[in-house]
Amino acid sequence: MMVGRYGRILVRFWKNSLIREMTFRGHFFVQVVGEILWVAMILLFIRVIYMQTSSIRGWSEYQYLFLTGTHLLVTSLFETFFFSNCWRVSELVRTGNLDFVLLRPASAQFLLSVEKVDFTALANVPVAAGLCIWAATKEGVTVTPGRIGLYVLVIGFSVTLLYALLFMFATTSVWFVRQTGLQSIWFYVVSLARYPSEIYQRFAGGILWFALVFVVPVLLVSNVPANVVVRELDYRFVGYLGLMACVMLMLSTAVFRFAMKWYRSASS
Amino acid sequence: MRKYASVFRIALADRLVYRGDFFLSTFLHFVPIITTILLWDAIFKGSGRETLGDLGYKEMVSYYLLVMIARVFGSMPRLASGIGTDVREGGLRKYLLQPIDFVGYLLAWRVAHKLIFMMMAIVPYTIVFWVCRDYLPDWPGITTFLLYVVSLSFSFLLGFSINCLIGMFSFWFLEVASFLHLFMTVQYFLSGHMFPLSLLPDGVRDVIVWLPFAYETYYPTTIFLKQLPAGEALRIIAVQATWVGLIWVGIRLAWSRGVRRYAAFGG
Repeated sequence: MMVGRYGRILVRFWKNSLIREMTFRGHFFVQVVGEILWVAMILLFIRVIYMQTSSIRGWSEYQYLFLTGTHLLVTSLFETFFFSNCWRVSELVRTGNLDFVLLRPASAQFLLSVEKVDFTALANVPVAAGLCIWAATKEGVTVTPGRIGLYVLVIGFSVTLLYALLFMFATTSVWFVRQTGLQSIWFYVVSLARYPSEIYQRFAGGILWFALVFVVPVLLVSNVPANVVVRELDYRFVGYLGLMACVMLMLSTAVFRFAMKWYRSASS
Repeated sequence: MRKYASVFRIALADRLVYRGDFFLSTFLHFVPIITTILLWDAIFKGSGRETLGDLGYKEMVSYYLLVMIARVFGSMPRLASGIGTDVREGGLRKYLLQPIDFVGYLLAWRVAHKLIFMMMAIVPYTIVFWVCRDYLPDWPGITTFLLYVVSLSFSFLLGFSINCLIGMFSFWFLEVASFLHLFMTVQYFLSGHMFPLSLLPDGVRDVIVWLPFAYETYYPTTIFLKQLPAGEALRIIAVQATWVGLIWVGIRLAWSRGVRRYAAFGG
C-alpha cells in the first residue's frame, strides 16, 4: 500500500523529467556528445600514462580502464538520480520554497531526493558499461553470474553512499545559507575517487588515505566494485562498504530531521 | 581611455564583494593537483625511469603547479557564455547605445577582475608554492623571468580573444553554452592542462603545435620550467602575439557582421 503510493509518485516524477528533457532535444544531444568526448579524453590520458609504465601500484592498463569505467558508472548513476535533487535542496532552503515540499503528505526526504532525473547523465551508463565489459574481456577475467551479481550489488552500495554523503552536505545549507556549492564538492569527490586508492597510501604517512577510506569514505565508491571484478575479491571491504552505505543513509535521515527543526522559511 | 578606466574601477569594486570564501575555494583548487602528483609519483615508480617526456619527477610536479599560474592568466570563466546571454536576451543593446566599444569594455572589465583575483590569490598561492619549494626549479634569472611574465600576459590576451571569438558565434547560433562545453573539454587536453604535451607521440604533437591552445598554457610554462634561452622564449611570445592578432581580426569581422544580424530581443 505504502510502497504502491511511493511507486506511483516515483513514476510520475520520472515521466515529468523525461518530458522536460525531450523539450530541449538538441541540447540533450550536444550534452551527450560532450560527455562522450570527455570520456575519450580520459581514455587518451590513460593511454599516455601506460605508454610510460606497465603498472601503477599494481594496476595494469586494463584494470585501470575497468576502474575508470566503474567510476563513470557510479558517478553517472548518482548524477542521473540524485545530483540535481541534492543541488535543489540548498536552493529551496535559500528561497524558502522548501515549505511547499514539507506541506505535502509524503516523506519530505523522499520527495526531495527523487523528483528529478537527469537523462543526460543516464546516457553515460551504457558508455561506462561498454568500457567495463571491454576492459574486463581484454584483462581476461572469468566472469561468473555470481561475480556480476556481486558487482551490481556493490555498485548499489556505492551510489547509496554517495547519495547519503551529498544529501547530508546539502542539508547543512539550513545552517550555512551561502556555502561553497554542492557543485564544487561533487567535483572534488569525483576527482579524488577516480584513481586507484593505493596511490594515496604513501602520502603524509597514509593520513589522507585513512581519511578518504574511514572518515569520508569516498575512495571506496569506485575502488571496491572494480576490485570485485578485476582484482582480488576482499569480502572485508565489500562488507565495510555495505555497512557504510547503510550507516550513512540512516545518518542522512537523522541529520535531515534535525535540520528541519532549524529550518525557518524565507521571505513572507 | 577614461571611460575604460571607469569600467575597470567598477569591476574592481564588484569583485571585492565576493571575497568571502575566496581563500577556501582557492586552496581547494589545489586538491586535484595533489591527486595528480600522487598519480605521477606512482607512474614514475612503475616506469623505473628518471624522466618521462623530457621531465623528471620534480619537474613534473612543478609543471602542474606552474600550469595553475598560467591558468590564472589564461582562463576566462563565463566570458563566452556571458556574450551569448547578452546576444540572446537582448542585453547587448545597452552597449550599442553607449559610445563605448563592446570588446574594449569586456577587456577592461576582465583585466580588473584578473588583477583582483591575483592580489587575493597571492597569499594562498605563495603558501602552496612555499610548501612545494623543493620541487620547483631554481630561480631562472631576471631575463627569463621577465620573458615568462610577458608570455603569461599574452596567455591572458590569447585566452581572452579565443573565448571572445567563441562568444561572437552566438550571433549565428543562439545557444553557445553547449558548444562551449565541448570546446572546454578539448582545450583542457590541447593546452597541456591535462598533462605535459611532451608526453605525446611526435606525430600528434606536430599537429598540436599548429593550434593556438598550447600557447595558452604549455609553452609559457616551459619558459620558466625549462629556463628556456631568450631566443626560444621570444619565439614563443612571437607566436602568441601572432595568434592574438589573427583572432583579433576574427573578432572584429564577427562583430561587424554579427551586429547587423542582431535583433535586440526582449523588452
